[in-house]
Formats: sequence, structure tokens, C-alpha cells
Amino acid sequence: MSPSESSAFLAPRRQTSLMSKRRPITSYDNDAYCDPDVPDALPQIKLEYKRTKWKERPISQYLDCDQMETRAYLEATTNNPFMAHIQTTPPRRLPIFHRCSFKQGLQSLGRRMSVSLRPRCGRNKVNASNVSHAATMSSDPSHPHTLQGKEKPSRWFRSHSAVRRRPSLPVFNLYPEVDPPSYSFTSPLPGPTRGPPLLPFDMHTGAAARAAAAAQNEALHYYQKQLPGFHPEMPRLSDLKLTRDSESGIGIEVQDRRESVHSGVDVIRLDPARVLPLEIIEQIFCYLDPQTLLRAELVSREWRYKAKSRHVWRYVFHWEYNTAGWNRYPARHCPQSAKGVGKGVSDQDWQKMYLVRRKIDQRWAQGEAAAIYLNGHKDSVYCVQFDEHKIITGSRDRTIRVWDTHTFQCIRKIGPPSQASRSASISDTASLSPPGAFHILNTSSMDPSGGFAPHDYHDASILCLQFDEDIMVTGSSDHTAIIWSIRENYKPLCRLRGHKAGVLDVCINEQHIVTCSKDTTICVWDRHSGELIKKLTGHRGPVNAVQMRGNLLASASGDGMAKLWNLTDGLCVKEFSSKDRGLACVEFSEDGRSILAGGNDQVIYEYDTSTGDLVRELSGHKRLVRSLHLDSSNNRIVSGSYDMSVKVWDSRRGRDTGDGGLKINFEGWTTSWMLAAKSDYRKIVCTSQDGRVVIMDFGYGLDGVEMLEA
Amino acid sequence: MIDDLGEAATSEPIPIQNINEAVLRKVIEWCTYHKGDPPATNDDDNDVRKKTTDIDEWDQKFMQVDQEMLFEIILAANYLDIKALLDVGCKTVANMIKGKSPEEIRKTFNIQNDFTPEEEDQIRRENEWAEDR
Repeated sequence: MSPSESSAFLAPRRQTSLMSKRRPITSYDNDAYCDPDVPDALPQIKLEYKRTKWKERPISQYLDCDQMETRAYLEATTNNPFMAHIQTTPPRRLPIFHRCSFKQGLQSLGRRMSVSLRPRCGRNKVNASNVSHAATMSSDPSHPHTLQGKEKPSRWFRSHSAVRRRPSLPVFNLYPEVDPPSYSFTSPLPGPTRGPPLLPFDMHTGAAARAAAAAQNEALHYYQKQLPGFHPEMPRLSDLKLTRDSESGIGIEVQDRRESVHSGVDVIRLDPARVLPLEIIEQIFCYLDPQTLLRAELVSREWRYKAKSRHVWRYVFHWEYNTAGWNRYPARHCPQSAKGVGKGVSDQDWQKMYLVRRKIDQRWAQGEAAAIYLNGHKDSVYCVQFDEHKIITGSRDRTIRVWDTHTFQCIRKIGPPSQASRSASISDTASLSPPGAFHILNTSSMDPSGGFAPHDYHDASILCLQFDEDIMVTGSSDHTAIIWSIRENYKPLCRLRGHKAGVLDVCINEQHIVTCSKDTTICVWDRHSGELIKKLTGHRGPVNAVQMRGNLLASASGDGMAKLWNLTDGLCVKEFSSKDRGLACVEFSEDGRSILAGGNDQVIYEYDTSTGDLVRELSGHKRLVRSLHLDSSNNRIVSGSYDMSVKVWDSRRGRDTGDGGLKINFEGWTTSWMLAAKSDYRKIVCTSQDGRVVIMDFGYGLDGVEMLEA
Repeated sequence: MIDDLGEAATSEPIPIQNINEAVLRKVIEWCTYHKGDPPATNDDDNDVRKKTTDIDEWDQKFMQVDQEMLFEIILAANYLDIKALLDVGCKTVANMIKGKSPEEIRKTFNIQNDFTPEEEDQIRRENEWAEDR
């Protein structure tokens, strides 16, 4: 067996005493005994045999065999000058934990037992001398192996001479995160199948210990793969084997004897949950990943109690979901976009919240969402924005509708008083069966009664809208924009006149309202007074989209250019050009370092705002990319296209990614073009030319999902 | 503190309860090695403590002690309010737990499984959501 083959099967060996106590370096003492004729691989062969052999036996036989082997061993050692003094040292037992059943006893013996091999010097001498004993003392007819083709090792031989063992070594390691051992005489060598590693003697440096520990972790992984149905209650094969060795008391390590006599220090295993006070345990648990923390609950009642600590889970939850996406320019354009981190008070079931949140993320990863159709608009729905309580849509049917995110009912319709609907052009109300949807809900709302007749309204298609906590601004093909008060029940506050064609997009921040129009201009308005502050000119085609970050404004135009403007002086500071045709949508990254733009080239461009370079292209859409939404805190780009699909991309993927980072591709959820799509932590809301508003809800039906709401 | 106490501080022993000599020696060894460290930024009060269990090499070796000593060092660091050492100790224990199955954790610390199979099943069901994506 070559070391590389066997490296996955290691068992541990570790220095047990304190750091201050250096282990005597005795290996050199034995060099004189080295017998070059005995191959190094020999003990491994023997151990391998032993393992397979014992596997076939019922447990009850083990102890008998142990006694027999012990006798054989004692006889043998009297003839072996090298082993002779072992007789004066009875097998050392550990004063631990004989509190339980026979089965548990076996396990605990197995735990504190460890063997290790040494492929050289003294042991080889032992091997060599024992080979002769083996040949004379025993011949087991069932023995499948031969030694160097002729001699058969007896059981006692296999049991001890090949095994160099320290009686009190831990099976598990302290330092799992180290590199696996390399093949060298100064570092640990892999042991036989599931056996121990072969360790060098410079253990006190710690490197060897950590390497052995790493090797042991490998062994564990292998072990779990080997025994998929493994159950913790079931004594492991290796436990039985080790127990047997331990019972027989053989294989006590000659070289280490001095040290163990000196130290008298046993490996002590203590339950930290009992030894350490709660606040320290909590601090330890805060360092764990959520997976391990959940598994830790299964260790014992004590652990479960402590691993469920709210303090710990609050920390874990915030670590996972709150600290990500720190940004230089707070995303004030949609201040209410839900973060999905709960109510921000400390007294919550953070663990449950974590589990729910994680389940939602899993559904995103697997592309599983419920399809919820909000029916009501009579014509194409051009724009949407939503927060935790409401979804607001604007349509070609000249109405703005406000929907309740929980009941899916239309709770407000804002538009011309008597709906002089041009036509009930939406005839296609047939149910769809969108692929990827695990649940489909078709809702229809009666038009809200008590007709809300504002004194001002758009008498044309609603093309764009944006709201925050205080106001909503809508843009229309009637060439104007209207500011509505959210706080005052959607009362129209002010109409913004200045464009000479339809208002195609709008964005707002604390001071400004920016609108862009088919007339190729961009207007900057004072949010509070409604005065026109600046008109930005430069685009040669209709300006289809605008977005702000701080005092920077990005715009995308049908002329195929995206521009970056400084709002303070109204100058264009950077231009980005598409490869061919017009741009329809634009999105600023959270940190302002890059902008995304999509359009008639059917790809999504990402530009670096400082250099102006094209960083990457996301390709996959088959027609014009109509809308883009970047969710920085969850690293998602959501795009909607005239190819009737909504796609979700990983915003972190680099330019070299083959698939462009495509995560989800929802096709066939509507019967016509996708016109707008926005997302938060749990859902995408998109609108279509067919008059549908679709919620792709990844958190649908999850128990406790409401805890994530603010 | 020594200045405050004046002469007496250097001539009279300061009793340190709860910490035995071997542990105190380790603690002093650690402090001696780290005495030149820059003062830690006091950032974990507002919950932005770095969630890494990386331990520098010297500390790793320093923490290669048996569990009893390890826990004693942690307790001593807590008692003596040596935050950096307490952190190293906690990370060391965290590393002993990380990535392990419940059974492996039990073995590591010799913990008795005191759940009934039914209880284990129940907990598994509660947490199964979070198992591998």
C-alpha cells in the first residue's frame, strides 16, 4: 500500500502532555536495531489483515481472543530482548468513565486508544525477531497473507509487534485545519487502511501533531463515506478492533515509556459546556458556522440548551445577513426595500429566522418559487416598485394600483375618476402553468370601492414610478410627472412640467427628483418645491432610464450610450457605449463603482465607472433587455426581457465565467414581454405587457417567514 | 495598578485565587510573548467582531495542551480579563468543534449522549432545513 493510497485512512496520534514537557527524542537510539531486510510496508500489511479478519467475527469472541493473544504475547516477549521490559509494565489503563454499558465501554476504550506505526529502526528489529517466533509458534490456516511470500504472521505477532501504541492518545484532534501530511521521514506517514499514521519524532514542534490531526480528519471523512448508514449508537468497527487491542494490553510503546513514566499525565477529555461558564461557551459558539452550531445541538442536552442561545444566533444571523453589502452610497432610491432581517429588536427567535432565511436562499439557488398573479390592470403594466406591505404598479390603462403584499388584493386604484378604459384589451386571463413554480395562485381583485378621485391624475399611460416613505413620483406619456404624498393617502402634491415628450423613467433621493424623457433630456427637480433645477442634455436619443447614487447620475439612452453625470455641476463625466443598438435600462452598483445596462443588444453590459471600460457582458436573453434590478445585499441581478423571461444572475461572478453567472431562468410565466422586474430577499415582482403582475415568491408558505419582516 | 499600590505591591504577594501554578505559568508565558502587541481595537462591543478562527502560529503551538489545561487557560484568561488570550482559547475550542458531526464532537470531549432516539429525531427534523444546500 503506498502512502498516498492509504493517507485517507488515518487514525490519530498526538502528544498528550503539556507543551512545556518535551518529549524525549529516542528514535535515534534505535537506529542500531534497524534491519534493512524487513520492508517498511510490512506492518501495514499485517494490520490490514487484522482489520478484515475482525470484521467477520461476532463481538462476543473478541475478549477471548484477547486473552489468548495476551498469553501468546507474553510468551513471545520473554524471548525478545527488545520487548522484555514491557512485562514489567502492565497495560496502563485510564481512570476514565467506566460508568456505562458494555457497548459504551467498548466505545470509550476505542476512543482513548490509538495506535501508530513506525516504519523503521527499532520496530523493524522487533518485527524481524518476531517473524521467527511467528513462524514457529503459530500457523493460522485461514490466514490470507504471507510474509515475504513464505512466513505467516501469527495473531500475537500481528497484534503487537507491528503496532506501536501509546495507551492514552486521543482519537480526535485539536487542530483540524492544517495541511495533510506529506510523504517524508520528518512528517507523518499514512498508516494502514483505517489505522494510525506513521509519525516522526519531532512531535513537540506541533507540526506533526497538526498534520496527524489533519490526516485524521481525512480519515473521518473517508469513514463517513464508507459507512453511509452509520449511526452514532452503533459501535464502530474500528472501536471493536481497538478495544480488542486495548484489552489485550499489547503493543505498549517501548520508546515512549520513559516519558509516560515521567509525566503520569493522561489525556483528559472534558465537556466544555460543563466546565466553562455560559458566556464563554457563547463566545466559542459565536465562532462556529451555523451548520456546526445546528449539529452541536445534537451532542447532548447541555449542548442543545447552550447552542440555542439567542445571543449566539443573533450574532450568527447578523453576521450572515446584515453585514454584507456595506455601501458607500446608501441606496436611498428605494429606502424601503426589505432586508429580511426582522424587526431589529433583540428579543427574537434568531435561530428560526436563520433557518427560514436559509430556506429562502435555498429556493433561490434551486429556482423554486410560487407564482402569484395579481390580476386587475386592463392593459400593459409598465412599472412596479414594492416594499414589505405594498406593491405599486403603473399601467397603460392610466391607473396606478396599490396591492397588499399579504392578501394580494388591490387596495387602491389611482386614476381617472370613471375608468374610461379604452378597451378591455386583456382577454387572456387563462391560467398559466409557469415552469419552476411549485405553487400557483391566481388572484383577482374587485376594483376598490369608495372611488378615490384625486383632483389630479395622469390621463395617459403610467410609464414609470418611484416611491419612498414620503412621496411617490410617477411619469407618464402625458409628458409630465406627478408627485404624490404617500403619507397623505396618495394625495397628488405637484405636477412636474418641462418635458416635451413622455416621461420614461424617474428616480428620487433626499433632495432631487430626476426624470428622463423621450425628448432626449434629463430634468433635475427640487424634491420639495417641485422647481426645475437643471436640464441635462447630451443624449441623441430618448433617455430610457436614470438612476442616482449620491451626486452621480447614470442614464441610458436609445442612442446606445450610457452616461454618467455629476449632479452638482450637471456635467457628463463619463460615457459608456453599447456595442450596437440602444440601451433600455441602467442600474448602479451599490458601491457606485460599476453600472449595468441592458438593451437591444440582448446582453447586459457591466461598465467600470472610473475607467469607463466594459467589464463583462451577461448574455442569455434572446430579445431586448427591458429592465434590470441589482440586489447588492444578496448579490443578485434580476433582468426582464422582451423574450418573456426573467433571469437572475450572480452579481459577483467575474468576467471569465462561462455561463455569465446565470442562476435562474424563468420563462413562460407571462404571455407577453416582461416590462419591469424588481426583487428583494424573498421575491421578484415583475410586470408584463399582457397586463399581469407576477410575484415570484421564494418564501411562499414557509413557517415563520413573517418573522423576517420589519 | 502597581503604581497605585506603591511599595507594597512589589513586596507583598498578590493572591490569585482559582488559578494554579502551571496554568499561571502558561498565562505568563503567553503574556510575555505578546507584551509588545499593539492594543486591540475595542470593536467587539458593537458586534462586529471578526468571525474568523484563524490563530497565529505561535498561539497555535501555545494552545497545544491537553483539554484540562486549555480550559484552565480560558478560565484564567477570563478571570484575569485578558481578552486576547480568551479569544485565542475560544477559537481553539471552536476549531475543535468546527465541521464535526455530533458524534465526533462527543468523542472529542467525551460527552455522553443523553438524548433519547426520539428526541434526536425531533431535533434533526427541526434543523433539517439547514442541511446541505
